[in-house]
Amino acid sequence: MNSEFLILFFGVGVFLVGFAIVFAYFIAPRSSTPQKFEPYECGIPTKGITWLQFNVGYYLFAILFLIFDVEAVFVFPWAVVMKDMGMIAFVEIVIFFFILILGLGYAWKKHALVWE
Amino acid sequence: MNLQDFLLMRHELLLVIFAAIILLAEIFTGENKNGIRNLSVILFSIITVAGFFPVPEGSLFGGMYKTDLLRVTVKNILNIGVLIVFIQSYSWLKFDENKNKISEYFTLLVSTLIGMNFMISSGDFLMFYLGLELATIPIAALAAYEIYKNRSAEAGVKLILSSALSSGVMLYGISMLYGATGSIYFDEVAPMVVKNAMIALSFIFFFAGMAFKISIVPFHLWTADVYEGAPINITSYLSVISKGAAVFILMIILFTVFRSIIFLWQEVIYVTAVLTMTIGNLFAIRQQNLKRFLAFSSISQAGFILLGVIGGNQIGMSSVIYYILVYIFSNLGAFGVVAAIANVTGKENIDDYNGLYLTNPKLSLTMMLALFSLAGIPPVAGFFGKFFLFIAAAQQGFYILVLIAVVNAIISLYYYLLVVKAMFLNKSENPIKYFKSDWMTRIGLLICILGIVAVGFASGIFEHLNFLSFGIN
Repeated sequence: MNSEFLILFFGVGVFLVGFAIVFAYFIAPRSSTPQKFEPYECGIPTKGITWLQFNVGYYLFAILFLIFDVEAVFVFPWAVVMKDMGMIAFVEIVIFFFILILGLGYAWKKHALVWE
Repeated sequence: MNLQDFLLMRHELLLVIFAAIILLAEIFTGENKNGIRNLSVILFSIITVAGFFPVPEGSLFGGMYKTDLLRVTVKNILNIGVLIVFIQSYSWLKFDENKNKISEYFTLLVSTLIGMNFMISSGDFLMFYLGLELATIPIAALAAYEIYKNRSAEAGVKLILSSALSSGVMLYGISMLYGATGSIYFDEVAPMVVKNAMIALSFIFFFAGMAFKISIVPFHLWTADVYEGAPINITSYLSVISKGAAVFILMIILFTVFRSIIFLWQEVIYVTAVLTMTIGNLFAIRQQNLKRFLAFSSISQAGFILLGVIGGNQIGMSSVIYYILVYIFSNLGAFGVVAAIANVTGKENIDDYNGLYLTNPKLSLTMMLALFSLAGIPPVAGFFGKFFLFIAAAQQGFYILVLIAVVNAIISLYYYLLVVKAMFLNKSENPIKYFKSDWMTRIGLLICILGIVAVGFASGIFEHLNFLSFGIN
């Protein structure tokens, strides 16, 4: 078994991470103001209770947006090769859109698009 | 691509069409979704039958997708299992709290089946991984199906976290394999796999990731909690179908991609098989909840299945597939009885089954047959399944392993018989009352009984599988 590479692999891995930690320990400036211990450190102390309930509608819209955003990415490479591939590419993208619209229809039917 | 090419991936296409039809039905029906249940069961029966028509063999997408008679056979076996799951969940879906989620149940379950089919047919690691993820993520949603129950939600979260971790570990292994060989196609990777540290490490990571999915000890810790929390029908699906598919593709990859480092993975499987059988058995003895009990019993069954993988021989592959078939019928039979009783009474502890034979003799007999098959008692199919697995391991000289397995089979007999004893011998003050299960449940259990009895006696099935299988040499 040639395990030199493996040892090297582990060695470099440990070295890189360890070096970064040790190096940061020595050069990083330190401060211990009360703001430092806030969960979200953005410079300003939080006011009031941070355990707020937020509308689940945001989440649904974000998910739906993400789905259609990612699907749009698939259409760009299709558009590039559409002319060369001809009819088959067209049929395939129609099937793709059909499945996509099915998902949209489902979300619509389940009232995911209604802002409450 | 022409029409002939589409025929090659017929199983997957039919299932995609099925899922689309269910979604369309969901969109265009009103409040009452009961029709979707009937539609799904009828459509899926047609798909199951359609899977048996002969198709040409070949590969698609430049070798990413492969199909041959062996893979088609495994897909058909899985189809049968899913059909039984659908039939068994028929009356459970009738409950008020499940009524508005019927079409999601079918779409998600079929999505996982599509993923498994792609995984089985994969010709490279990318397709394999995509199929695996498609097979895993919807199951987490299904495990959390009864989201208003804490345990079910917990099962969903545990499943998705553990499967995310295992996928990460496995991807790391695959990336190392790609780094060492420069390809992700099984056919191209296989000749470049030589015995060195990088490959060995990539195999370990890959195996650990798969061991999570098959719940092999020491990667089994998620199993019992998820199995207990998830709805019974999902548990039965998880313990049979997804385990069967994962074992099959693990075996294919070990036999093709990693065939030149067989002495390495034989050692790994040797140790994990012994651990899996023993620990699964020892934990199963102490369980009171039947779902947890069956979860640990399914862990130990996974250890027995590894006995067929370890030899790397032809009879090993055929006995694993045969065992998956037998296991589908026996485990779904046991889960079917548990589901039928839990649906009516809500009881799922072994103590509740005391005196069941006096009140519900037919259900008790079905349960007894299924447990006998799981334990491997001669006249039923489970015996032949275990027998072939032992032969496969013994043929390659793993006598000590077979001995350990036999001892474990005896231990497992003890706790399977505990349930039988509870049903037939124990007296109870207030046993479960007599009830008539509806006809769909009965059909589901009848198919299981037929399978348990018939598969053992139809010797042609094993010969057919053996004809299709291949070994390493």
